[in-house]
Amino acid sequence: MPSFDFTTLLWWGLPLAAAPVIIHLINLLRHRRVEWAAMEFLLASQRKYRTRVLLKQLLLLALRVAAVAGIVLALAQPRWTAALGAWLGGGRTVHLVLLDDSYSMGEVVGAGDVGGDAARTCFDRGRRVVERIVAELAGRRGRQEVALGRFSRLVDRSAPLSETGMPSGNGPPSTGAEPAVAAGVTEQASATADMTADGRLDLPRQPVSPAVVQRIRERIARFTPSATAAGPTTALGFAASMLGGGAAGGEPRVLWLVSDFRATNWRGNEEAVATLAALAAAGVELRLVDCAGDDAAEPGAGGAGVSPANLSVERLEVVGGVPATGVLVPLEITVANRSDRPVRDVAIDVREDGVPRPGLRLPEVPAGGTAAQRLEVRFAKPGPHTVDVRLPPDRLPGDDLRTTVVDVVDRVDVLVVDGRLAAAPGAAPTAPGAPGARASGRAGDAFYLAAALAPGAGAPTGLRPRIEPPAALASLDLSSFDCVWLLDVERLDNAERDALEAYVRGGGGAVFFTGPRTRAEWVNDVLYRGGEGLFPLPLAGAVDLLADPAAPDAPDVVVEEHPVVAVLAGQRNPFVGAVRVERYMAAQRGHQPDTGLRRLLSLRNGAPLVVERPCGAGVVVAVLTTAAPEWNSWARGNPSWVVVMLELESHVARARRAAGGVEVGAPVAVELEPGVDGVEVDFLVPPDGAIVHQTAAPATDGRLVARLERTDVPGAYGIRWKRVDGSERERIVAVNVDPDEGRLERVGRERIDTALAGIPFRYEPAAAFQGGAESLAGVSLVAPLLQALAVLMLLEQLLAWSASYHPTARRRTA
Amino acid sequence: MPASRRSLHPEAIARIARLELRARAVVEGVLTGLHKSPYKGQSVEFLQHREYVRGDDLRRVDWKVWGRQDRLYVKEFEEETNLRLSLLVDGSSSMDYRGGRAGDPARRLSKYDYAATLAASLAWLALSHGDAAGCVLFDELVRTSVPARTRRSQLTGICDVLEAPRQGHKTAFLPVIRSLSETLPPRGMVVILSDLLGDRDGMFRGLQVLRRRGHDIVLLHVMDDDELDFPFDGPTRFEGLELPDHVTCNPRGLREGYLEALGEFLGDARRRAAAAATDYSLIRTSEAVDVALVRFLSRRASMAL
Repeated sequence: MPSFDFTTLLWWGLPLAAAPVIIHLINLLRHRRVEWAAMEFLLASQRKYRTRVLLKQLLLLALRVAAVAGIVLALAQPRWTAALGAWLGGGRTVHLVLLDDSYSMGEVVGAGDVGGDAARTCFDRGRRVVERIVAELAGRRGRQEVALGRFSRLVDRSAPLSETGMPSGNGPPSTGAEPAVAAGVTEQASATADMTADGRLDLPRQPVSPAVVQRIRERIARFTPSATAAGPTTALGFAASMLGGGAAGGEPRVLWLVSDFRATNWRGNEEAVATLAALAAAGVELRLVDCAGDDAAEPGAGGAGVSPANLSVERLEVVGGVPATGVLVPLEITVANRSDRPVRDVAIDVREDGVPRPGLRLPEVPAGGTAAQRLEVRFAKPGPHTVDVRLPPDRLPGDDLRTTVVDVVDRVDVLVVDGRLAAAPGAAPTAPGAPGARASGRAGDAFYLAAALAPGAGAPTGLRPRIEPPAALASLDLSSFDCVWLLDVERLDNAERDALEAYVRGGGGAVFFTGPRTRAEWVNDVLYRGGEGLFPLPLAGAVDLLADPAAPDAPDVVVEEHPVVAVLAGQRNPFVGAVRVERYMAAQRGHQPDTGLRRLLSLRNGAPLVVERPCGAGVVVAVLTTAAPEWNSWARGNPSWVVVMLELESHVARARRAAGGVEVGAPVAVELEPGVDGVEVDFLVPPDGAIVHQTAAPATDGRLVARLERTDVPGAYGIRWKRVDGSERERIVAVNVDPDEGRLERVGRERIDTALAGIPFRYEPAAAFQGGAESLAGVSLVAPLLQALAVLMLLEQLLAWSASYHPTARRRTA
Repeated sequence: MPASRRSLHPEAIARIARLELRARAVVEGVLTGLHKSPYKGQSVEFLQHREYVRGDDLRRVDWKVWGRQDRLYVKEFEEETNLRLSLLVDGSSSMDYRGGRAGDPARRLSKYDYAATLAASLAWLALSHGDAAGCVLFDELVRTSVPARTRRSQLTGICDVLEAPRQGHKTAFLPVIRSLSETLPPRGMVVILSDLLGDRDGMFRGLQVLRRRGHDIVLLHVMDDDELDFPFDGPTRFEGLELPDHVTCNPRGLREGYLEALGEFLGDARRRAAAAATDYSLIRTSEAVDVALVRFLSRRASMAL
């Protein structure tokens, strides 16, 4: 059915169609008077042609009325909407408008085009498109019902919806975790409270009226792109539950998908395609509106200082060291360039606990590649600390910020299990700094290892080695240790082995040193277990490293490509060449390396010396020689020993140290200890620290968990609670955007056509929704109307000529 | 166009108020272009004898005098015309139509003015040749008339008839002819100037009557250009000059039918005039009166040969 962009013009203009009739009547009154002699001929002619002349006059009048009406209609911008059902199906049409608000929609695009004013970002375009859609629906005939939702709001809950688009019950079962917004919360928190009753749609299904149009206009004016990477899959799933399969009865249904159609969201997204197919099969009309135009920002288009490229902080994490007070903690910043041109001299703004610190500069980030920069931070106080890095403004601001949290302690405990202590059960376990420890462990593996991990006050590493016998594996809480070192352990009982294995598989790191007490058979049977156990490879037994007469000066140790030993790599490093290995534990010959097995160091005869293999969430490293200079000379005055041991400690402990960050949109939760921790928890929401109060509730598995369901903005979310003893606890969780959402590659019309082959849909650029839109919500009838008008005018002229209304040269008769 | 002819242009003639002067202007213009009169009169009343001179017609020698006096004398007779011209001018309302826009200085003569001028001119010509000329102004009745005479003052009488006030009546020719049949001199020339709008059957039956009485009938059909071309544009209300009807129309829409009916009318007039042995000529009022006069005289001369 036709609708009009300018309905007011139509109503004001249509009376003009009466103008030809009025002019005709006026002309009848204003005729010339002639006294005529030859009336008989005139009367004869009138008798003969009266009917024909009258018909021609009426037809001419009708054509002129139609022409004026046609001009008015053309000016009113008529459209033929696809909702044919409005004529046939009782006139009710349901529209679900889904607006992509993932942060890629914040891409700065060219100067404004949609809606007549400047649309700076794809999201601005999307908002204009939604406004236009709803405004157009208001002008359609029949009952139009609309519901509006944003991708980010549709991802977290899946309450079944009733026909009206509302939850069938009173909403999802309350877990007590529904966010209650305190005064002074952020816009996002306000938006949370502003959501409609079902908590998912911004506007529940309701008839379109001017008031609703105004409401939507006011509401979406406050919308901003979220920081989520919310893709179409969940949103389409929601659409399927609302529109698909007879959920909406037999009335026509239209799904408007207003998105930027990025390749990351659509390429290979079988689920989304299947959902669209199901919707189409259910009779839903699919309208895809692409807001990411081809006019992406040119230099300067987004304003002064905005780079046309898109740089993204892809990674920010601690890459070594020990997160202890007074110790330099190295962090690595990885910046990805999502554009096809290199970006040079990139200034990185760094903040430590919110305080600016000297920034960094990346000389160049290659096109389509990444560049990394190290940053060393020293924290003076224990506790959680935040580090924020921010890139200069560019085409997509959403991925320019990244936060990490470093949980700093006074000292990091490291468990050193000394096999010698098992052999001498009377020896008292102690720390390396203690005199007794030095006395008992002197010249032993533990001594040399502890000396490397904690050299002394002059070189603080932040580590505190705790030397224990193997029995400590079962008796101590291993989770309190950064990692576990096992030095020439002869055997472990099942409890010790299981505790160690659980620790490693849970994300811990373990390093085995072999030695004279290490029995290959036991290692293979108990620790390796055919690849199922902890040990990275099966052993054959201890062997001597024979001299190589062909190359007597060749170093015994060969450095492999691995970050732990990267410091030893290179031809000019003399330290590793000075290491002499006399004996080592040989791996079984013919052993096929297990998946993930990597060598760190090898011997000159090709045998592995140091290997690692992941195990569960953790990692296990096996050093196939002694820590003490018993089978080798490494620990005896060679600086590389200390360096490699410290790097190895950071490496195996990295999984435990990894900041427990979450992606934007995911909930932030803290597990509390029943009876120890209180249940009242305050979440501090960035950027201004607005407080959202939550009460912890038992989860299904019995754990006591306090949860902040919605994280709309990236940054450091603080969690504070009190223990029953009155002490306060605090944690900080870094919430960051998904860097993949920053990949701005568009899936493109052709790929969409290919992916949705066989599915009836309509793909339209957002530009089609600008003022006087072509195909706003239907096919524009202006062009065919103008053509019809031209034909009409031609007919009018022909008829006017035929009816002798055109002036002609006087002819002479007789 | 010579100056004498330019002065005979209808627009120029129209400016001459008095019909007599108007006719004189026309005839003088015509005579400057003619070399002999087409009228040939014969005398029957004796005037005097004159001595014969070489070249005289021997038939006019008075042989009785030659017998008595043996001298050749020829007889001279008082000159007497053999033409009795009767001008019948239609004075009905339809003859009042005058083409062109009111106030236009180049506006044409009305059909009646044109016919009157032409009639007066013919009368002048006839009288100048010593022929008798009379005039009848009629519509449905004979309104006024002057019998045919040869005297010089006859022209004034004819002009008085033509300039007599008219009442605005329809045309009814047959009763007029019947009333005139006894008064018109027999075997004369009857020139009828009319637009033939009205009782057409009566007109041609009257012509038959005149013809039976031996008259040489000339029918000068005077029509305005507007009536022949129907060039009107725009919404127009046509009100009948003779008929009480009116038609409000777009004239262009009816033009085709009008011209068809007009064509039939003209064809019918020609045919019926020929059937009545009537010399028929269609004259446009846009045509110069002298041109129409010359054309008429030439036509008559060719018929006399």
